Amino acid sequence: MSQNKIDILERALAREKAARKQAEKILEDKSAELYRLTRELSAANSQLEHSIQEKDSQLKGIFGNIIDAYVVMDLEGFVLKMNDAAIQMLDYDFREEKINLFKLVHPDEIQKTKEAFRELYVNGFLKNFQLKILPRTQSAKIVQINASIVYDKNNIAIAAQGIVRDITNDIRAQEKLIASENRLSTLVLNLDSGVLLVDENKNIVLTNTKLCELFSITKEPKDMVGLAIAGFAEAHKNIFENPQAFVERIQQLVAHKQMVLGDELKMEDGSILERDYIPIYENKKYKGHLWSYRDVTLQRKYSRSIEAEKQKYSNIIANMNLGLLEVDNQDRIMMSNQSFLKMSGYAEEDLIGRIAKEVFLSKEHFENIENENSNRLIGKSNSYELLVKTKSGEQRSWLISGAPNYNLKGEVIGSIGIHLDISDFRNLEKQKELLLAKLEKSNIELEEYAHIVSHDLKSPLRSINALVSWLKEDNQGKFDAVSLENISLIEITLEKMEQLISDVLTYSSINAESFETKYVDLNSIVEGLRHVLFFPEHIEMKIVNPLPVIKGDTIRLQQLFQNVIGNAIQYIEKDKGLIEVSVKETPSYYEFSIKDNGIGIEKHHYEKIFKIFQSLNPSKVSSGIGLSIVKKIVNQYQGEVWLVSELGVGSTFFFTIKK
Amino acid sequence: MNRLLTVLLIEDDAIEIMKLKRTISSLKLRHTIIETNNGVDAREILKGKHELPDIILLDLNMPKLNGIEFLTILKENQDLQHIPTIILTTSNNSKDMLECYKIGIAGYVLKPLKYEDYVAKIERVLAYWSCNELIRNK
Repeated sequence: MSQNKIDILERALAREKAARKQAEKILEDKSAELYRLTRELSAANSQLEHSIQEKDSQLKGIFGNIIDAYVVMDLEGFVLKMNDAAIQMLDYDFREEKINLFKLVHPDEIQKTKEAFRELYVNGFLKNFQLKILPRTQSAKIVQINASIVYDKNNIAIAAQGIVRDITNDIRAQEKLIASENRLSTLVLNLDSGVLLVDENKNIVLTNTKLCELFSITKEPKDMVGLAIAGFAEAHKNIFENPQAFVERIQQLVAHKQMVLGDELKMEDGSILERDYIPIYENKKYKGHLWSYRDVTLQRKYSRSIEAEKQKYSNIIANMNLGLLEVDNQDRIMMSNQSFLKMSGYAEEDLIGRIAKEVFLSKEHFENIENENSNRLIGKSNSYELLVKTKSGEQRSWLISGAPNYNLKGEVIGSIGIHLDISDFRNLEKQKELLLAKLEKSNIELEEYAHIVSHDLKSPLRSINALVSWLKEDNQGKFDAVSLENISLIEITLEKMEQLISDVLTYSSINAESFETKYVDLNSIVEGLRHVLFFPEHIEMKIVNPLPVIKGDTIRLQQLFQNVIGNAIQYIEKDKGLIEVSVKETPSYYEFSIKDNGIGIEKHHYEKIFKIFQSLNPSKVSSGIGLSIVKKIVNQYQGEVWLVSELGVGSTFFFTIKK
Repeated sequence: MNRLLTVLLIEDDAIEIMKLKRTISSLKLRHTIIETNNGVDAREILKGKHELPDIILLDLNMPKLNGIEFLTILKENQDLQHIPTIILTTSNNSKDMLECYKIGIAGYVLKPLKYEDYVAKIERVLAYWSCNELIRNK
């Protein structure tokens, strides 16, 4: 072993000795302290025991008098003691039966109760524990329990005691309060008015969604509570049409602290807000104020448009050329417009309050107006005509359109009549009727006249014809050839004369009034002409395509075709004559054509031939009226007539008839 | 079997009367013609004790009582309404024609312009009526 090693071991040994001495010293000190503490502790213990005993006897004194239910139970939950209040509350009496309190706990709350009991056991006490219990006969109760553990002298838990308070009603009331608070705050939150409540310290107490919406605030209403109101107006002034006025008005209102309702604010976007400022006082002390903002744009627009409508109708009523008269249920005049005064000749003060029928009607017309007025009472409107007398006594015809007048409750309070003076119109109508009657009469007379004239003209012709025949008969063999030829000329002239008279009669009797309208089959009309007209052997008539059935006058339509076709027959000089009748239909009219292979007509005569008494060729039978009659009939059917022709080849006559 | 007729001709025109008479004589018919110039006279004849005519030929356009007025009165008369009445006129006025047929006529003959045509028509009318059974001595 080296010296070095020995030195090291010696130094270590010395250190150990020192340490042991130090430890022994500490141990000595500690046991002295322990002894002292033990002494102190036993003193305290005896003091504590004393005070417990003292408290116990004190409690025993209170026990009987306590108002709240008081229960002592063992650690298994069996009741050891309970006061009257407890008996009443739980509906059990420990003197009569053994009660385990755990059995009274509502089944839902057993777990919770176990935990609470453990807490009680561990901590020695339990404060404000709420529990639902089921008393014997009554409904469930919510109770609040304050409990503590009872220890014996050896500090061993032996029982638990507790005060039980029935807080069922308190809880209910609280729940109700919360619910109504919730409702209220929901109401405020969702109010259609923007609400801003500011306290006396200029902090926001309450606001709602609508306010945030109106002021375009992105924050939730609840996040605004507690914020300072300062700068609010300034920050939001630009949403108003006049920002400066908005700010100034707020300053003014806040300064005066007087309630102002219904301030109207125009906003930049055209909408209109109505604002109330309500200062809040408590015991005459200012506690803040409430702003409320309502969007009244719609109402304003509505009332403005109502106002405009009203204005419009008032203007119409004032300026219309119709008399307006308002009467009550007794026919008393309530109101009249300017036109009515003008019509009637009265001044307004002459009329107001007077009975309308007495002013305007003669007695025999009273019944009419009474009938009309009874119509109003049952809510009927209608128009009627009355003969009235104006202020000057003049009789006028008024057309009255009457309607019941209602009050706001919907009751008939009278009637309103619009009056139009139709006297002139009536007179004109009468005149017109007279004129029409006269016209009709003269038309009939004219036709009669035409017939009579034609009869009177034809009679001498027949007589001449008879006389000439008798001359011939009575002088047979006595006349020479020239005389016989002259007699024959007389007869031809008589025939022409008679045809002329017949045609003039026909022409003059074509007028709209004498037209009948029924369905006419033109095929049978044209076919019928084969018997009416004289067709020489060499002339053939063809209906190229089926003719329509049209509405018209049979006689006129027959005349029309008869004259055109008859005209064609007359001017065919060829060996084989052909007349073709055809039709073309358009949406609004029929176009008929009658084509012949006759001598043709020169172009410059196209117009002329339709004029009356214009016969191009002197003919033994043509009066020159036939085509004029055609034109007149076609015109009656709102059609046209024209022709296309080539000399020596033939002519085609066209005419249209409106459908 | 041709019966001889008594014909009442009511006609105001003298030449028309001559025409009928000449027609009958030239046709060698032996019918009796009673002629009268207007409706008023005709009524007198019918009221009289004379034998009633077998047929009446009636012109429409006449002074005083015109043809249609006469016809109306005739057809309302119980004793006379059975007499066949043939209108002989110039008027082809369809209104008149309809009116006559409505009141009740036995024919409507238009007077033609030509005398030969007239003769032909009258011959046929008289031939027709002379082969008809007629009410007599009612």
